[in-house]
Amino acid sequence: MSVLRRVALAGLLLGVTPLHAEYLRIQMRVYGLDCELCARGVSASIQRLNGVKSVDVSLKRGSVDIALKPGNTFKMSDLRKRIRENGFRSMEATVTAVGQFNGSKFEVLGSGESYDVSSPDSKSDTPVEATFEVR
Amino acid sequence: MISPKYSYGWKENLQISISAPFHLNHGEHPVGRFSGTMPGNPEAEALLAWRFLHKLTGVATRNEATFYLGGSATTQSLPRTDGPPLEREPNVYGALAAAHISRRYYLSAGAGYEHYGQWSSGKLDHQSDSLLTSVVIGWRPPFLDHDYPKPDLRFFWETTGDRIGRAWRDATATATTAGGGGGHIHEALIRQSASGSSDVIVLPNSGGKGIYSGPTFLLTYRNMAFQSGFLVSLWDQRNGTQPAERFQAVVGVSYFFFGGKR
Repeated sequence: MSVLRRVALAGLLLGVTPLHAEYLRIQMRVYGLDCELCARGVSASIQRLNGVKSVDVSLKRGSVDIALKPGNTFKMSDLRKRIRENGFRSMEATVTAVGQFNGSKFEVLGSGESYDVSSPDSKSDTPVEATFEVR
Repeated sequence: MISPKYSYGWKENLQISISAPFHLNHGEHPVGRFSGTMPGNPEAEALLAWRFLHKLTGVATRNEATFYLGGSATTQSLPRTDGPPLEREPNVYGALAAAHISRRYYLSAGAGYEHYGQWSSGKLDHQSDSLLTSVVIGWRPPFLDHDYPKPDLRFFWETTGDRIGRAWRDATATATTAGGGGGHIHEALIRQSASGSSDVIVLPNSGGKGIYSGPTFLLTYRNMAFQSGFLVSLWDQRNGTQPAERFQAVVGVSYFFFGGKR
């Protein structure tokens, strides 16, 4: 199922060589994190999601920084759901992922999730790595 | 008093807790609520907490309100100097608490009422109902505002007020034991029970009111939490000849299991 998200900023294209489609890194703002135990709980919970390599939580910035393993089938929707289940609210995120541009969408193919982009319509035949912001 | 407690986060806004406090040495104190989430009597309690309001208003900031509903059954008799221990029945407990939480400040207020039943044993003994109120102001000093994963220390100032009703005893049971009990039957009020079937004696040395206030702290690190505090009596009006409760102290240790689904 395709998940559409608003993309505020078009991504920085880092390469055009063929790559596996997947999320690589997600830096997400999270509302409600106010204590060490909150951070530990949400960190442990995200760590159990498929494909997560490491989780770094900052209470001062109110953010989680997630690095993902190569070849993962991670979904942003699962991450947002997991954060909500822990009692917090996921907000905007900076996402680095490998996928394909298809018209006004950037599709992270392995996840089945796609994002509306504000860049001019484009189409890529091979997966590319892009960094973009999701609200 | 020692009180083991187990809590399980069932859903995002639903938690169930089981606690079973027991007395090492009860002394002569009114029997009320120990805390908002823990009985003051030796009894096993199941408590459901429903966080019905949960507003995340910013980074490290939230407002929330929680409704508590619990029930408990006696596990240990408390000795009394005015006769045999009361045969306390199960009770129900309801409470409401609201809080504003941020990295720097913490503010919460709540109140709960505990009602003991009179329905199972055929005796008319009745433990006092109790009302507990609480206001807590918390502060995390800037120099302790470390980022995760560092020990997290917060200081609080807690003020609690309790109002505990008078207990009563089955008059027929008292009549058979009063001679050896050396109690205060002559001081007791005698009144008709709710059912009208028998008389009960309202125990003069039971219940009362009090307000306590003092500092507490909470230290969390990794999966552990340590809390302690010392509340002194600001106002103590105990019924009868019960000794004044000059202070309340608590030490708590918690371990958190961060289990869950993959």
